Amino acid sequence: MSTRKIFKRNQGATSSPKSRLLGLATLFGLVTLFVFAFFLTDPDVRLHPTTGEEIGQFDAVRLLYLHVPMAIIGPYVAPLVGAVASVGYLIKRTQWWDVTAHAAIEVGAIFCGLVLLTGSIWGRPVWNTWWEWGDVRLMTTLILFLMLLGYLALRRVAPDGQKQARRSAIVAIVAAINLPIINRSVEWWESRTLHQKSTLSELKIEDLTFFTLMMGIVVFLMLFTWLVLHRFRLGWLEKESLEQDVLTSIEERRSEATVNEEGTL
Amino acid sequence: MTDDLAPLPARPEKPPRRRGPLIATVLLLLGVGVVLFVTLGDAALVFYEVDEAVEKRDELVEKRFRVVGTPLPGIVETRIGGESTVVFTFCAGGVYADVAHAGDPAELFQPGVPVVLQGEWVAGSLVEIDSLEHSANDGWFLLTDHMVVKHDNDYRTDKDRVTDVASCALKE
Repeated sequence: MSTRKIFKRNQGATSSPKSRLLGLATLFGLVTLFVFAFFLTDPDVRLHPTTGEEIGQFDAVRLLYLHVPMAIIGPYVAPLVGAVASVGYLIKRTQWWDVTAHAAIEVGAIFCGLVLLTGSIWGRPVWNTWWEWGDVRLMTTLILFLMLLGYLALRRVAPDGQKQARRSAIVAIVAAINLPIINRSVEWWESRTLHQKSTLSELKIEDLTFFTLMMGIVVFLMLFTWLVLHRFRLGWLEKESLEQDVLTSIEERRSEATVNEEGTL
Repeated sequence: MTDDLAPLPARPEKPPRRRGPLIATVLLLLGVGVVLFVTLGDAALVFYEVDEAVEKRDELVEKRFRVVGTPLPGIVETRIGGESTVVFTFCAGGVYADVAHAGDPAELFQPGVPVVLQGEWVAGSLVEIDSLEHSANDGWFLLTDHMVVKHDNDYRTDKDRVTDVASCALKE
């Protein structure tokens, strides 16, 4: 049965009073974040000391209030949760770990795609390019994105549930090897890469800009938690539905066999 | 005997293989391969700072490479060979090099904002180079055709930041 059908059949079953509250808080947080990012914060403008001309990122900086929080979740938090849950699956071999890993990676893949998209839109006016093949952070993030998509594709290839979960867990763990490379790339290739170094770790940010960025990180973490929670519950219903279908089929075959035996007698 | 001649029970039909996800996986693997190939190819186009590019000029002659540095004030806009060109002096580690960049510069191209240029060393000089305020005027210039801005990570509004941007820091 497709995920969409299961969702339709169990509409409302993936939410709970607490998850609804989290959803509402996330929605409120997103609206507030957009107001701060696009209206209340100033554009990045300063005067050049010798020419007196205005320099900076201007309004393009506003995109960073979305891009940076997504860049923390998509390429770091989500694959890390996926990898930890995958290790949990390989040790415990229970469905809970497998469904958790799947949920985290599926949501993470969406965030990772959005990070590449928003980064590209920001890069055009600021860097003067949509994409830079030689930039190590861009490339390692793209490779991670492709690996997350590979994980999702693999989950549909393997025929039996356990084999599928085992293979996927290995892919999730392998993908996580990329995480420290993505994180350290701007330090290791500092003068050989286009991507700027971390602003937060050097605290080269202050006042409302800093507040808005922090708010963005909190709001996007809430959004990630809410999405993973729902995807987990849907995945769990999917597994249960599959098991139920198998049990129903066995029951039907047994009934058929009983009728046949009675007929023979 | 009769048992041997009896028709064998039909083989259970194999469930049809789902080819879509398999094709998707192969395509993704190909994607990773292409990305690595392009990246490694691009990495061969070495990234130098201006002082390194000047120091290794003999090795770099007739080679295309990327060079990072900070444009100094006094940018000249002109046309060379019918193409709009900006001529300026480029600096890193206290070493200067003159540049003629063909094509439209980046939107945020300004003195004091570091850029990465792609091009090659050319022996000789240009009339415009003589008029540059901080010209290296060493008989060579960089002829480039690709420019990206290397933006810094500073989002503060204080004066220190402005001073950092304007300076062409000497290597310690």
